[in-house]
Amino acid sequence: MKSQTVINTFVEKTGAYVAAQLEACTRCGMCAEACHFYQSSGNPEFAPVWKIELLRRAYEQRFTPVGKFKVAFKLDKPVTDEDIAHWSFIDYQACTMCNKCSMVCPMGINLGPLIHTVREGLSDAQAVPADLKAAVNKQEEIGSPLGVTDDVFDSRIEWVADEWEIEMPMDVKGADTLVVFSSIEIMKFPNNLAAIAKILNAAGEKWTLSKKGREVVNFGFYEGNDKLTKEFMNRVFSAAKELGVKKIVVTECGHAYDALRWTSANLMDVPEIEITHIAGLLGEYVKSGRIKLKPGALDGNGTITFHDACKIQRRGSHIQEPRDILNILAPKSFREMTPNKEESICCSGGGGVIAIKEADPIRYASFELKIDQVNKVGAKTVAMACSNCRLQFTDCVQHFNLDWKVAGLSQLVADALVE
Amino acid sequence: MNWESTLEFARGPFFQVALLVFIAGMTYRLVAVLALGWKADKVKSKGSKVNGIAMSFAKGILIWPFIPWVKNTFTRNPITYLAGGLFHLGLFVVIFLGAAHVLVWKSLLGFAWFSLPQPIVDWLAAGAIVAMIALFINRLVNPVLKLLTGPAEWLNWLVVFLPMVSGYAMTHHVIPEYDTLFAIHMLTVDVLLIWIPLSRISHFMFYFFSKAIHGSDFGKRAVTP
Repeated sequence: MKSQTVINTFVEKTGAYVAAQLEACTRCGMCAEACHFYQSSGNPEFAPVWKIELLRRAYEQRFTPVGKFKVAFKLDKPVTDEDIAHWSFIDYQACTMCNKCSMVCPMGINLGPLIHTVREGLSDAQAVPADLKAAVNKQEEIGSPLGVTDDVFDSRIEWVADEWEIEMPMDVKGADTLVVFSSIEIMKFPNNLAAIAKILNAAGEKWTLSKKGREVVNFGFYEGNDKLTKEFMNRVFSAAKELGVKKIVVTECGHAYDALRWTSANLMDVPEIEITHIAGLLGEYVKSGRIKLKPGALDGNGTITFHDACKIQRRGSHIQEPRDILNILAPKSFREMTPNKEESICCSGGGGVIAIKEADPIRYASFELKIDQVNKVGAKTVAMACSNCRLQFTDCVQHFNLDWKVAGLSQLVADALVE
Repeated sequence: MNWESTLEFARGPFFQVALLVFIAGMTYRLVAVLALGWKADKVKSKGSKVNGIAMSFAKGILIWPFIPWVKNTFTRNPITYLAGGLFHLGLFVVIFLGAAHVLVWKSLLGFAWFSLPQPIVDWLAAGAIVAMIALFINRLVNPVLKLLTGPAEWLNWLVVFLPMVSGYAMTHHVIPEYDTLFAIHMLTVDVLLIWIPLSRISHFMFYFFSKAIHGSDFGKRAVTP
């Protein structure tokens, strides 16, 4: 029975970390007001607190005398398979795990990680939306959810190197830095690959790509599948170890950064290698003068704004670097949206949501909050440091027929390099 | 029924039992949660967890009640913010700084502290009661709260509301029979004390955990919580 599997997983995952937070919840409903999916739909079931309702019920019934009493006297409903299907819908399709809700919770409950635990249970019960599961399987089998096989990788990298006339070092032993792209960039935004290569070369970085560790995206992490999450991260770590690098750079991908930088050490043994995000590296280069940018290079083309990604800014802290860069590139035309930085509104496409076709109406509806935000500052260009956000923006620009230019931060930096 | 003896019972043996249940119950709740085990965080911090925790509490306790618009969500659900804040403020002031309660603390602990002038306490108590009513209505109206509210939430509300109203009625001599009101107040307080460990009213204890977890998670990542 699916419900039993889910409960077993929850019980296994419930430590004091989970329990103390569930016990702290007063069911005040404030988190709903922070959720873009609730805001855009008005569906109370999209309230973050409701997304962890299964976990709470399982915890209460298994671990608390009150819960046991309620079950004994049939005051509480047992979790059924229909419940599992329903929560699979709200936890996978109406949540990007952006964790904005935790910022408004008066009790400070970290709802994002708790929803991840719910996904772990749903994953064990095989209650993952078919589209997402297909992408996960694809990554398991061929190494990428977007069909980047070894051959495709080789030919794409070769093509980028030719097209942009740029050096793309591959499997260089003894390099300092391993750069791992996401297949979103490889397949959809190849200009980002060229841009990042150009910047690293200009900064004199001894870097390399790896055939083995060629995919930073972690769809296992989206699913909440621990085993695959580890396996996908291990591909990157073992490549890094073999090449003997000192640093792993995650390119413009958010969830991957959360998994690799902020989660991996708690799931597995990880090598002593620094992990950083390209946004942080760019900031460092600019600050130390390793690369020089043309001041005002982006001025004169209308207002430019920056979209903060949940995993790179709110949960990754690379908040200041993009702003330092944009203040050089567009001192006159850079404007902030409100709310911004760690309180930014999510793009609505992360957490695997964009991979699920069924979730399209929810995803588009929620993006309208972003449209309002961008239109309020009258931006013509929206910059961001996350390819998943960028995919969502690009898709929505088409869907809503918007006249914005959507740009990756690396691409803007590369275009403004003083050579 | 003889109210005088009821009062003696409610403020005597029943109160002592209730207090004992409260302390034992809360200790059990705490131990039960901690016994589930805490995994060490092996991820290398970028910022300081301690700073994050400090900021998390500062925002929660110091900043939030005074500058509600710190959070953008304030405008979307002002009742929960204002009534929730006013209720907690009133409750704490009455319990810890009301003259009558300071005497209770003195007899319980052997020492006590200053109390606030009666009119201030009185207005805050009235404010807390009004806030409770607002929160009640909010739970009936707000779509999310409607979904979240079940018998447990209503019971919690009632168990907290009764001692507040009876205490307020007592200080204002709503009816001449002071002992009757006092007895009702003490009975409802006893029920509350016993009810707390069985319910979500115990959140005041876990607040310190969740706020610390939140602060350390953000601090570790060098993001303002």
